[in-house]
Amino acid sequence: MDKTTHFGFKDVVTDDKQSLVRGVFDSVASKYDLMNDVLSFGAHRLWKRYTIASSNVKVGDKVLDLAGGTGDLAIKFRKKVGDSGQVILSDINAAMLGEGRKNLINNGVFGVEFIQLNAQNIPFADNTFDCVSIAFGLRNITDKDQALAEMHRILKPGGCLLILEFSKTDSELLKKFYDFYSFSVMPKLGGIIANDEDSYQYLAESIRKHPDQETLKTMVLDAGFSFCEYHNLSGGIVALHKGIKV
Amino acid sequence: MQHFVLEQALNYLIDQGGVNLGALNGKVLHFALEDLALDVNFICTNNRIFVTTDATTAIDVDIKLKSSVFLALLQGEDLTELLRQDKIIIHGDVKTAQLLVDLLQQIDIDLEEVLSKYIGDIFAHQAGKLGKTFKKSKNSIEALKDELTTLLVAPSKSNLFKDKGI
Ligand SMILES: C[S@@+](CC[C@H](N)C(=O)[O-])C[C@H]1O[C@@H](n2cnc3c(N)ncnc32)[C@H](O)[C@@H]1O
Repeated sequence: MDKTTHFGFKDVVTDDKQSLVRGVFDSVASKYDLMNDVLSFGAHRLWKRYTIASSNVKVGDKVLDLAGGTGDLAIKFRKKVGDSGQVILSDINAAMLGEGRKNLINNGVFGVEFIQLNAQNIPFADNTFDCVSIAFGLRNITDKDQALAEMHRILKPGGCLLILEFSKTDSELLKKFYDFYSFSVMPKLGGIIANDEDSYQYLAESIRKHPDQETLKTMVLDAGFSFCEYHNLSGGIVALHKGIKV
Repeated sequence: MQHFVLEQALNYLIDQGGVNLGALNGKVLHFALEDLALDVNFICTNNRIFVTTDATTAIDVDIKLKSSVFLALLQGEDLTELLRQDKIIIHGDVKTAQLLVDLLQQIDIDLEEVLSKYIGDIFAHQAGKLGKTFKKSKNSIEALKDELTTLLVAPSKSNLFKDKGI
């Protein structure tokens, strides 16, 4: 029998998930940044700034942004590492990378490299990067453990992994509001602004299927990281996990 | 959240060339103030310092003391003398512990202020205190203050998660 996994709340054949996710991001790519601002009330910018500040990235560092999409983190990393450093913006989806390229040019940011890759099989040598980041990408990946092991492999000793992702809030009140917002408002707004209600339904569902803070921390440690801690942002709606390879 | 401020401040100093990690590179130091909820690891690696609250790891040096003793240390009290008086407990290499104390002395943040707020959330105005420290470049000081002020407003609102990983 075929192995299955989840795609939002649906069970799908494991081998099919990647192309289904690709369909979602092919469809939302051109409106992705606008929708991010609208749906998070701009908060995603603050979450990303916090991620960059937590990275401790320095001039001359090598940074790989996985599932980097439209390049928000890559733009900020590029400023931190300077001309002696290296920033690679990577994503499995060509349409998202295309939007990323436009975004960087519009922001006057040059010198970032682009690579289309699957985070489950990263085509870099062991011990290459000072920092690997993945923002709102991990929950879309079929085999998260394999991807985390790859991230660990390509980080240098002393390297830092940053995972910014939707997570679980402990506040009952916030949870109620958030459920209503995610399942009743988000897909409708997706329908109105991006003409794509289904993709935003998937995005809301995939958030609920994503491991909670403690589970993800265990996964990061199991992947070989010596340290992992998480910081809850916006009441735990989002969490930043920081893993360190010693 | 205070350990985030500490981490930012230490790495700022390292970046400015004011501090050389030297022999601390590659060491993990556990540092606990017994009378306050300050219990952190300093992971010194790759020429930077990560300050974490994660307790899952192999530690090279374990340092336990009271906040009053810590403040005395920062004011220049001799580490070996405090050790002799049993005011500090150190497991591991005392020289490495001394290097960490030297480093913390150099931060010259208003650490007293940081400690006094440790149990509660940090507020944006507190980040302003950091500015006292960084006397070297006025523009960088302002930039760091701005950055911390903006960053700390949002995450610090989460009282709900105070004990859960922040
Ligand atoms: C929600 S977007 C996040 C984009 C960007 N990081 C941000 O924070 O705005 C998720 C991204 O993950 C990418 N993605 C999904 N599966 C992937 C995989 N297996 N490897 C690499 N990227 C993947 C998608 O193409 C998409 O661009």
